Amino acid sequence: MAPPEPAASQPDSTRTGPGRLLVAIYALFALSASARAGVQIATKFSHAPVAYLLSAFAAVVYILATVTLAVGSPTARRIAVLSCSVELAGVLAVGTWSLADPATFPDATVWSSYGSGYGFVPLVLPVFGLLWLRRWTRRPKPRRTTVASAEDAGEAAGGGVAHGESGAPGRGAEDVVADGRT
Amino acid sequence: MNGAVPTTIIVAGLALAGYALLMTARNRRMSVPLLAAVGVLEILLLVQVGIIVAKLAGGERPAGLATLIGYLIATPLVPVAAAFWGLMERSRWGPAVIAVAGLVAAVLMVRLHQIWPVIHV
Repeated sequence: MAPPEPAASQPDSTRTGPGRLLVAIYALFALSASARAGVQIATKFSHAPVAYLLSAFAAVVYILATVTLAVGSPTARRIAVLSCSVELAGVLAVGTWSLADPATFPDATVWSSYGSGYGFVPLVLPVFGLLWLRRWTRRPKPRRTTVASAEDAGEAAGGGVAHGESGAPGRGAEDVVADGRT
Repeated sequence: MNGAVPTTIIVAGLALAGYALLMTARNRRMSVPLLAAVGVLEILLLVQVGIIVAKLAGGERPAGLATLIGYLIATPLVPVAAAFWGLMERSRWGPAVIAVAGLVAAVLMVRLHQIWPVIHV
């Protein structure tokens, strides 16, 4: 097993620090997406079945992300990475689909037009979620602290989501151990 | 109803969000003034819920009644949930949660108007 948690300057769980804000916004979307899907499916399902089922799917993903980010255990974090990835893929796929084939979406889902009905928050949220979760994917070592800031800046500029899991090139063998996922 | 309460809520929500974001930017934790402001917002939201319930009791009905009832239940919970969640945080991110609640309160008033146009904003 890898050592429990990152260094002192970092928040000790995915629900603390910036994660507190992230969980709050996820909870908000979990609530609104499930309420919306529930009302749509209960009252007018035949009107736009695809849109409403996608709304319900989005609701499940948001609930999963909210709970796992709030729990913050290693297993929960893995599920959170998965739900944030599915969420990002979903908002991109459904966003494109809704623009390409508006007939399938007579009524909007959370992810229609990349979440434009919700100020594009659905598009931005999974990106921040994955960036936040990456702190635990690549565990910082105490001796790395001197180079950490420069490296963080470089990686943040790259913006790659899958970065942390493969391990950036040029880092020592410690990363193979530290990542713990390979 | 002339829309004074929803308009007040929008202004109060945005003001609260601005104040809370300022606290986040200045690296402050949750404070008593911030909590008091959340309390004021909560009272305003409860007044608004009361006004809508009175309208419903008077026999008026919106097209999307189920959605409206959902909003009536969820709206007063927003500041309460945000206050609890924010108080658990020991950093600048506590006020950030409150900022979200303020913005959500403002957005909810606009949505209420869309659901039932007799609720003026």
